[in-house]
Amino acid sequence: MVQNNKRAAIWRTPLAIIIVLIHFAPIYILLGMAFKSPKDVTSRWILPGYIYKQNFDIAINKGNMLAGLYNTTIITVSCIVLIIVFGALAAYPLARNRSKFNGGIKAFVLGIMMVPPLSILVPLYTVMAGLKGTSTYWGIIVILTAFQLPMSIFLYTNFISAIPTALDEAASIDGCGPFRTFFLVILPQLKPITASVVILTGINCWNDYQFSLYMLQSPKIKTITLTISSFFSQNSNNVNAAAAAALMGILPVILLFLSLQKYFIKGMVDSAIK
Amino acid sequence: MKVKTKHIMNLFYIPALLLFVAFVVYPFTQGIRISFTNWNGYSQAYKYIGLDNYIRFFKDKNVLGAFVNTIIYGFGSTIVQNILGLAYALFLNSKFTGRSVVRAVIYMPVMIASLIMGYIMYFLVQYDGGAINDLLILFGKAPVDLMSQGPRAVLIMTLINILQFVGISMVIYLAGLQNIPEMYYEAASIDGVNAWGQFKYITLPLLMPAISSAVVLNLIGGLKLFDIIMALTAGGPGYSTHSLSTMVTNMYFRGQHAGYSATIGIFTFIFIMIVSNIIVRYFDKKEVEM
Amino acid sequence: MKKFASIILGITLSMMMFAGCSKAPVETAPAEEAASTEAAAPEAKAETETAPKSDVKLTFMSSMVGVPSEALEQACKDFTAETGIAVEYSAPGANYEELMKTKMASQDLPDLWNTHGWSVARYSEYLRPINDQPFAKDIVDSIKPLITDADGQMYVLPSDVDLAGIVYNIDVMDKSGVKVDDIKTWADFEAACEKIKAAGFTPVHIGGKDNWTIGQYFDWVAPSFYITNESKNYRDAFKDGSFDWKNWEEICAMLDKWNKAGYLNVDALTSDYITGAKALGEGKVGFEFYGNYAITEALGAFPDAKLGMMPVPAKDASDQPTLIGGERLATGVWKDSPHMDEALQLLNYLARPEVCAKLATANGTPAGLKGVESDTGIIKPFYEKYANVKTFPYFDREYLPSGMWDDLCITGANVLSKQEGAIRDAAKHMETSFKDKFSQK
Repeated sequence: MVQNNKRAAIWRTPLAIIIVLIHFAPIYILLGMAFKSPKDVTSRWILPGYIYKQNFDIAINKGNMLAGLYNTTIITVSCIVLIIVFGALAAYPLARNRSKFNGGIKAFVLGIMMVPPLSILVPLYTVMAGLKGTSTYWGIIVILTAFQLPMSIFLYTNFISAIPTALDEAASIDGCGPFRTFFLVILPQLKPITASVVILTGINCWNDYQFSLYMLQSPKIKTITLTISSFFSQNSNNVNAAAAAALMGILPVILLFLSLQKYFIKGMVDSAIK
Repeated sequence: MKVKTKHIMNLFYIPALLLFVAFVVYPFTQGIRISFTNWNGYSQAYKYIGLDNYIRFFKDKNVLGAFVNTIIYGFGSTIVQNILGLAYALFLNSKFTGRSVVRAVIYMPVMIASLIMGYIMYFLVQYDGGAINDLLILFGKAPVDLMSQGPRAVLIMTLINILQFVGISMVIYLAGLQNIPEMYYEAASIDGVNAWGQFKYITLPLLMPAISSAVVLNLIGGLKLFDIIMALTAGGPGYSTHSLSTMVTNMYFRGQHAGYSATIGIFTFIFIMIVSNIIVRYFDKKEVEM
Repeated sequence: MKKFASIILGITLSMMMFAGCSKAPVETAPAEEAASTEAAAPEAKAETETAPKSDVKLTFMSSMVGVPSEALEQACKDFTAETGIAVEYSAPGANYEELMKTKMASQDLPDLWNTHGWSVARYSEYLRPINDQPFAKDIVDSIKPLITDADGQMYVLPSDVDLAGIVYNIDVMDKSGVKVDDIKTWADFEAACEKIKAAGFTPVHIGGKDNWTIGQYFDWVAPSFYITNESKNYRDAFKDGSFDWKNWEEICAMLDKWNKAGYLNVDALTSDYITGAKALGEGKVGFEFYGNYAITEALGAFPDAKLGMMPVPAKDASDQPTLIGGERLATGVWKDSPHMDEALQLLNYLARPEVCAKLATANGTPAGLKGVESDTGIIKPFYEKYANVKTFPYFDREYLPSGMWDDLCITGANVLSKQEGAIRDAAKHMETSFKDKFSQK
């Protein structure tokens, strides 16, 4: 903005530092605790003057963190693929046709977004048990996909609405049916918004706790959140090892975010502004 | 567009709708059926009791408490997240060194699972050895058992939710701001409009679509708040910090009133539905007006 | 990325400059800890290497955590090694009951599971009676009535017998001048609390953040008020649903009194069980109302702690102190298990004397089968000392309908938060919920 003059610049740095301190405090505390010996009773604000690696050894060996990371990766990647494909497909007619029927669909999709997951947990579990889908990859994948799809449809619809219909019409004149129009004309344009769909819904799949807790009961298929929560409940006498486990659990997503940051902001620009 | 094309396009809905019907709608209708029973949640034997659960629902003061908490979690978070998010966005929209660091640090907690965030926050709010109490002691104050009183615990958890998710609104507003052409401000400056006037007549109206997205996303997230509560208080002391979502699980598993739990779940859904519909409509109208 | 990482490091370091940094404490135990994790690791690997010779894979869900869970898992592995039948063992910890409820609702149960005191009231609908099994005749007599239903059916193999009282720290008692043998009634107990408080310790620790700990108070205190006195009790009133809940105000009032007198830890509502067990081991707390697992837990953190167990005081001089007994590690078989024969085979394997002894030892409790000796460690002298004290079942399992534990915890929390009229409300809440769930039965 133009009115940002030199005078304003002076208070900017201290303000930035205060904001960073407040927002970084929880992670700072976590870092300190993860590297501290359980016998160290100094304040949690004080970082250890040494590195206590055993916390991580305990987290890896007892907590099975690596298996958790592996399972979560498989589930999240599969979910993202389905969420992108099904979401973009459903968004296309929703963005293009402005009929009563589509209005109904739109309301329905929004409605799905608002169902509190736990209120349908037991009937859902019964359905999955009937389909032999508990403690399987596909079982949790379809459920997470179903609950993340509305978000993806929401974002894609906004984005497609902004693509000029002239393009579709041109394709239609060239003899393209809706399928070819979608795959050849629309899909290639969705790249920027897809980045934000991946991040927004992917993070929810990665961090899911409520569904995974009930649907994934076999110890071989535990996700990272489940691993950490069971580690907390079983080793809460060793808060430092628990902190190490939590740190290992959040590290992958934070690294991913830091490397994808730019795409994310770009996708957001396209999605929030209709 | 041709009518036939439109019909073919409607086929695109099928995969999504199939998933919704099988894994959301059908279980939800089963939930409605359960809400008319006295099922304890695990036995195969139960009987239909008509509207008893609904009658109980409207007389239950614990549920009323959870309802009030849900409103605080939902609206409290939304209001603060949007004001703070917008403030951060305005601040970060100007160029200065370390800007990207500030942005990343604010956004980073969004990536962390709420449950884990709750565990981390427990390290701060704990009475014995908690980081916040260490600060209080440092400044010569007596340590406080922060989560022991319902209303205070509700406010603290709302704050934690804000702290974690303010990054979402911030990024949406940043995007919105970067889309406003610089020349509008230049023109306004030439006309002698001051900073506040520019904000009121240029920034705010042009941000309306961003505000709409941010408010709806925050509101649905806040009204469904669950993981943080489970990690920090599990609804306690007593029922004092329950949201409707945690009340649903509590009634189902610990209270063994699956029928009643389903009733609360249905009400929660209807409530979130009505609120979001009102908000979406309000913003749609606003955007059309402009 | 690199730039960012260095900036994060910079922030952290500069925050550290404000806060200073701590020195490495003198290390003693961690070396052992590391050693024990290293020892545990190869075991975990061994699991995947054992190739099952049979196609059958049994599922086993356990309610145990920590040491007992590891012992049970090991027993399952030994079973696999011997028979070639694979066992998928899982111990979901805090969420065990919730998972089991969803599984019962969907009739999708594991082949075997633990019943944590509810084999009759909650799980019997889904369990196969075990009266025809060879080990049935060996089940110790004290636990038999607790696991038998109205038709004389038993549903589980009890690996051990839980015997619980109030756990305490011997050093704290000595320093405060309290003799536990003199504590016969709750009035004596309160006098002891006063001394402990005066000596600068916390008399009783409650960890109310965990959603089960406050209920412990009622489970421990209620029998002495309503059940144990042979000349005046309400056993029948609870059984036929006619109990006058006005009487319940007494024990709520006692909790309130302790709370206001400062006998409880300041953070009784927000502390947790583990913190409590640790504080007991560390010698900060006098008494705790937990089973002997709290002693095991405290010893885990403070191996040299001197801890003991004493019977629960009586209401007044007309009655004697008592102990609490019941199921702890008990295992049953799903009545519709597709692998019934293999599941029973595993159950009988667990009933073998040497296996049963190992499991009971891991729990620090006496074995549940006759002729089996377990090593109960530092609690052993106390079991011997109190061998003749009368034992009563867990109050909520025996006298309350399933699902009322939450009501105990909630009403207790309301009393602890010093709400106006909480005592009266607590009794009313219990009455409503009791009648409601009683009629559900």
